[in-house]
Amino acid sequence: MSNNGFQPKLLAFCCNWCSYAGADLAGVSRLQMPHNLRVIRVMCSGRVSPEWVIKALSSGMDGVMVLGCHIGDCHYIDGNHRTKKRFAILAKLLGTMGINPNRLYLDWVSASEGVKFQDVVIKFVDRIKELGPTPIGAYQGVKVDR
Amino acid sequence: MIDKVRQLVVDLLDSGRADAVLALANVHANVQPYLYKKGDSLDSLALWPKYSMGPILKSIQAAQPDMKLAVVARGCDDRALVELAKRGQIDLNNVQIIGLACTADEATECECANPYPANIDVGNKVDGVASTDLLAELKGKSYDDRLIFWKQAFDKCIKCYGCRNACPLCICEECILEDDSWVKAGEIPPPFPIFHLIRAYHLSDKCVECGECQNSCPMDIPLTSLYALIRNEFNELFDYIPGAEIDRKSPLVTSLEEDPIREETA
Amino acid sequence: MNCDFVLTTCPYCGCGCNFYLQVIDGKAVGVVPCKTHPVSKGTLCIKGWNAHQFVHDEKRLTKPLIKKSGRFEEVSWDEALDYTAKRMLEIKEKTGPDSFGFLSSAKCTNEENYLLMKLSRGVMGTNNVDHCARL
Repeated sequence: MSNNGFQPKLLAFCCNWCSYAGADLAGVSRLQMPHNLRVIRVMCSGRVSPEWVIKALSSGMDGVMVLGCHIGDCHYIDGNHRTKKRFAILAKLLGTMGINPNRLYLDWVSASEGVKFQDVVIKFVDRIKELGPTPIGAYQGVKVDR
Repeated sequence: MIDKVRQLVVDLLDSGRADAVLALANVHANVQPYLYKKGDSLDSLALWPKYSMGPILKSIQAAQPDMKLAVVARGCDDRALVELAKRGQIDLNNVQIIGLACTADEATECECANPYPANIDVGNKVDGVASTDLLAELKGKSYDDRLIFWKQAFDKCIKCYGCRNACPLCICEECILEDDSWVKAGEIPPPFPIFHLIRAYHLSDKCVECGECQNSCPMDIPLTSLYALIRNEFNELFDYIPGAEIDRKSPLVTSLEEDPIREETA
Repeated sequence: MNCDFVLTTCPYCGCGCNFYLQVIDGKAVGVVPCKTHPVSKGTLCIKGWNAHQFVHDEKRLTKPLIKKSGRFEEVSWDEALDYTAKRMLEIKEKTGPDSFGFLSSAKCTNEENYLLMKLSRGVMGTNNVDHCARL
């Protein structure tokens, strides 16, 4: 399959306190980024149920990012500890089922790291372009509007 | 072996240390769960095929919480009871466990890696089934081939919810898999891979390898293999075996200091 | 407290899967598939798994009802049976036996279903008889 011209559709869950502010900073700093990303703000990365990621991937999203505060900086003390653990096992589950776990990306972006936000988005878009469209969207009968 | 179980059951009932003993009975050539009480004949006592004792014990305790119960438990039952107690589903303080180690044949039939309870009262510990041909094959497959394998397997699913109903650890009061926004009612096969991945995630820190999901599957989907892989992954990450330690919480609900991740993810 | 497991055949279709109804103090609370049964071998479909639910359902009809001026009213068995017999004979007289269709239920026993078939064929004289479990 040629991936020429393939524009992935990506979803990011950003926590309210760090990553969403980081994304905001990247915006007001006018950092250039690919436009493949849709952002959903959540109060904490620990609020992101793995079910949502599974649903996103099978609804035609080619990749899902979960961005939270750095470990130790969580607004809710250890919300992101759970995120890290859940997504560690979720990545393994995706791999077991045959979905490349690289379609899932977990990282920590603080409110001051606008540049890091830009960086992880660019790298993730490149990574998904490499991987191609999600193989499971088709199984759901989803017509992806790219 | 069965005589020893009989003796233990009689002792518990006659001495009054247990009001009732949950075991299996052979009634008219069918084996069923049975709640033995004092004075019942134990001629009918049976050990195989196994039934999942955890949920039955839970329903009995729900009806009468103060009953002193004993239960004949294999390795998987033992782990299920521990895991249920940990999650507040049953109270083990009033329960005595008669630990029954499975025979080599039984372990082979269940493809069970740990066919013995923590404390063995009857039977001898035998080695479990470390791996199967299918597990080795699945591990060797590429992501794409695995996806095709599971897609084909789950295409057979008639959405009977048998895996969920039979699972001793499926304990949610409201099941997300019955919610129309996740799984549409009246459509088979259920959406792949949402249905099975959500169940797999929910069971990742609970699965006690009883194999009831596969035993109850009318379409012979190799669920025990899926869950064996998941248990391995979970154990590699967190050094945790569901049902093994009653005092240890699931790593998914603790912080990184309490329970670190062993292997960093890619 | 009593906890019994009552072996029974699934009422829903003709496959004949067997399961145990878990009965706690006279109330059916759950279904446990029978692992030793040669037909179902410990498996069930979604209907069998939920077969205990209708047993104690509040919406089950326990008394005969007749619709009078647009409303169902509770009546005695005698009145219900007399009324039904009278209307059935009237209709048979007027439009013939084939204006009837008899639909039986999987939640009845084999014997009850047999009797309905007899009523349909022997008494009313029509072959329009069917059953919800005719898969």
